[in-house]
Amino acid sequence: MRKFLIALIATLSALSLSGCGYNDFQRLDEGVKAAWSEVLNNYQRRADLIPNLVATVQGAADFEKSTLTEITNARASVSAIKATPELINDPAAFARFQEVQSQMTGALSRLLAVAENYPQLTATKEFGELRVELAGAENRIAVARGRYIKTVQEYNVLARSFPTNLTAMVFGYQPKANFSVENEKAIAAPPKVEFGKPAAK
Amino acid sequence: MRLVLAALLAFATVLGAARAEVPVPPLKARVTDLTGTLSAQQQAELEAGIAAYEARRGSQIAVLLLPTTKPEEIEQYSIRVAEAWKIGRKGVDDGLILIVAKDDRRLRIEVGYGLEGRIPDSVARRVIDERITPRFREGDFYGGVRDGVQQLIQLAEGENLPPPQAQTLNDARHFFGTNPLVAFILAMFVGLVLKAIFGRLPGSLLNAVGVGAIALLLFGIGIAIVAAVLVFIFTYANTDSSGGGGGGHSTGGGSWSGGSSSSSSSSYSGGGGGSFGGGGASGRW
Repeated sequence: MRKFLIALIATLSALSLSGCGYNDFQRLDEGVKAAWSEVLNNYQRRADLIPNLVATVQGAADFEKSTLTEITNARASVSAIKATPELINDPAAFARFQEVQSQMTGALSRLLAVAENYPQLTATKEFGELRVELAGAENRIAVARGRYIKTVQEYNVLARSFPTNLTAMVFGYQPKANFSVENEKAIAAPPKVEFGKPAAK
Repeated sequence: MRLVLAALLAFATVLGAARAEVPVPPLKARVTDLTGTLSAQQQAELEAGIAAYEARRGSQIAVLLLPTTKPEEIEQYSIRVAEAWKIGRKGVDDGLILIVAKDDRRLRIEVGYGLEGRIPDSVARRVIDERITPRFREGDFYGGVRDGVQQLIQLAEGENLPPPQAQTLNDARHFFGTNPLVAFILAMFVGLVLKAIFGRLPGSLLNAVGVGAIALLLFGIGIAIVAAVLVFIFTYANTDSSGGGGGGHSTGGGSWSGGSSSSSSSSYSGGGGGSFGGGGASGRW
């Protein structure tokens, strides 16, 4: 009995010391939402560049049709997915979102690679600027994804470790979907948008 | 559950293993040269130019020259630098960082959120192409950095930002926010002086009102009320008023203003808490 009491007191004090983590959940939940919005924003930023890019490419040269079709298709499937904040609570939709976005990344890098064969296109000011804007969007996406990964990691650790997992159970906080590691490698290594050469003036 | 934990652990180890990368140097000055390219005088001139701009506008600029960012790309490295240094004012996010990886022959301008309007990526790229890399190609690193920074300052001047005195306020907020004990001791000290001059109750009240007003200015109404009440109670209860009145008063005031002015002029106080979202542009020469 005495032992039980001591154990009980120890457990209770441990719980009260580390807290139930309710406030941490609120803070991190908001953090995850904000980080996700940032990710969505930056994907949107990239998507907004596409019409302009396609127009510039078509206008300046008799451009390879298949590459353009690929871009337009990728854009269509990206916009077919409603990019809502709720996406992070639905692993299947999240995976689908990732997939179409990485298709877009691939299509864009192929377009830029093919564009190298059209010197009169790459020499134009519009194309040069679009390339820089695109690089900026890709970089912002990488940064936003990195921050999202970190925030979700923090949240998920909280949701799964004792004793805060009890709080998570009581209030129904599910671990959130994250970008997978394999995927992250693919992103970090590149479909490289290379801007090595000094921009044409 | 165990599987999940194991997966998380594996994830963490992968992240950890990937971190065999160039560390971010501590932020000790506006211009950090790890390559020994700039002479002490050139460094001082760049410092002075940036410091003048900071004093005028409140925004911050940092320059970092290092040999290489390998194995990372300069973009990945520079965002880590930006996150560690926090150049720019908190909330205004008006920081700029110019990073040059000399052996990689790559450079990047990292633009804080607050300046993305005036310096979008294409403009940052133009600064690199037109001002910096032509000089770098001639081996004139000082000239490239100087011209690039000057051009960036000119561009940033056009941004409609809050005036610089907010910076001292921010400094004070940061200082007292992180060192509440210092603020408390300071308040007790001033309280002793005020009590010696005005008497116990009026002195305590005066001190509470003063501290409350400062806290209101820095942190808002909630903290102001709590601070005022606490200060009143402690000042009133603190009966040890043996300290010499006038002398203590002048040293107290002197040390406070002295401390703040010396930190803003001579030593560099570091980043103001600005955040970056990956804006800017990279280039090579």
